[in-house]
Amino acid sequence: MKLELGNIIIHDIQFGNVSKVEKGIIYINKDELGALLSEDENIKSVSFEIARPGERIRILPVKDVIEPRIKVSGRGGIFPGMMAKVDTVGTGRTNVLKGAAVVTAGKIVGFQEGIIDMSGPGAEYTPFSKLNNLVVICEPVPGLAQHAHEKAVRLAGLKAAAYLGNLGKDIDADEVEIFETPSLKEGILKYPELPRVAYVQMLQTQGLLHDTYVYGVDMKQSLTTILYPTELMDGAVVSGNCVSACDKNTTYHHLNNPVVRDLYAKHGKELNFTGVIITNENVYLADKERSSDWSAKLAELLGVDGVIISQEGFGNPDTDLIMNCKKIEAKGIKTVIITDEYAGRDGASQSLADADASADAVVTGGNANMLIKLPPMEKVIGHIEAADVIAGGFDGSLKSDGSIEVELQVITGATNELGFNRLSAR
Amino acid sequence: MCTVVPISLTVGANRIVPTVAIPHPLGNPALTKEEEKDIRRKLLNKALNALSTEVSEQTVFE
Repeated sequence: MKLELGNIIIHDIQFGNVSKVEKGIIYINKDELGALLSEDENIKSVSFEIARPGERIRILPVKDVIEPRIKVSGRGGIFPGMMAKVDTVGTGRTNVLKGAAVVTAGKIVGFQEGIIDMSGPGAEYTPFSKLNNLVVICEPVPGLAQHAHEKAVRLAGLKAAAYLGNLGKDIDADEVEIFETPSLKEGILKYPELPRVAYVQMLQTQGLLHDTYVYGVDMKQSLTTILYPTELMDGAVVSGNCVSACDKNTTYHHLNNPVVRDLYAKHGKELNFTGVIITNENVYLADKERSSDWSAKLAELLGVDGVIISQEGFGNPDTDLIMNCKKIEAKGIKTVIITDEYAGRDGASQSLADADASADAVVTGGNANMLIKLPPMEKVIGHIEAADVIAGGFDGSLKSDGSIEVELQVITGATNELGFNRLSAR
Repeated sequence: MCTVVPISLTVGANRIVPTVAIPHPLGNPALTKEEEKDIRRKLLNKALNALSTEVSEQTVFE
């Protein structure tokens, strides 16, 4: 399966009379986009703000971050089963508005939502401070149930991203990247000497606002399965979760998974990247056992020598992580796990809730319990009072001068377990 | 009493009674209130039995 990504480099977003992309600037007709998003009867009102790198802006609570993309050729459309009809994606040509994102905010959906600061010390902890962001502020109709609220905001974000992505359909790309995965047979014949490596991506599926969707399927209801890596780049996997902001994978992360990118960079040179095994993180012990059994079984079936495993979230998914690691190692396949740590504010406590001797190669995204101080900003997009109630915040987090003292876990993407940030440890 | 038995084993608990699921260890929202009460009573009885059983090593009461 082969996919071309045409990156259209975006320097700015502005509101305008006609929605278009011109000379690296996205112009948005807010009335048109607002009317589109307001079609959802569960959304009472929608408004838009633009947040650019370096501006003294704080966005909270942040639900999802989404990169605008559009299928130019090849089967299917972006976010299949969610926005586009169900069809296998990952081939042909996809254009990307690189440097831009849609950020969804508004009344808090679940307590585990995040903060993005566009400047100051907080901006250093989130990759999304480097993007030109269209913030979509969705307010739900009164009395809307939490799960319906989550769905409404999730779909509004995806719709807005698809709307922006569509503006890039006929624009010449500034750069083109090509990603190709051969069939198992072709790969073995082509690279007989190279070690075979697969990627096991664990998806957050604990339910109760902690869900991930694959081609529109709620992943907690699926068994562990296999994707071509390029399917991820076309939005086969979409975030529907409000798990802790620092280590949840936003839809932006799924589209730009750095494990996939780095494995492709070495593909055909140092290793043969065979594919992605996606598995879930359910709340029943039998599900955890079954799904990790399947991860190990599929890794064995692919005939790989090594596997990289990434986790999403923390706490009981630590058990899924260790089960995946232990069971894959037991097949004689080497593993490296990517996680983050909840080691207490002083970093002295045990980092994971579970452990095993076979987990002897570990990459960390940082300690989410670390306390940080965020100075006041000139402008807050969203609801500042959420600072006291989101995970990582506490009663008194929000100071009278508008500054915030919180644990690092409130910052969207701060300790990302795909390695999509700069924190780690040696 | 806990759902994720491997973690209980890792942290060294002596007597472990497996429960339903992480968000609802002693119930199940898919069932009726009467059925849930039945589950709760059985799990509690199992836990009380476990407490009064001598153990010499980590023991899971399935």
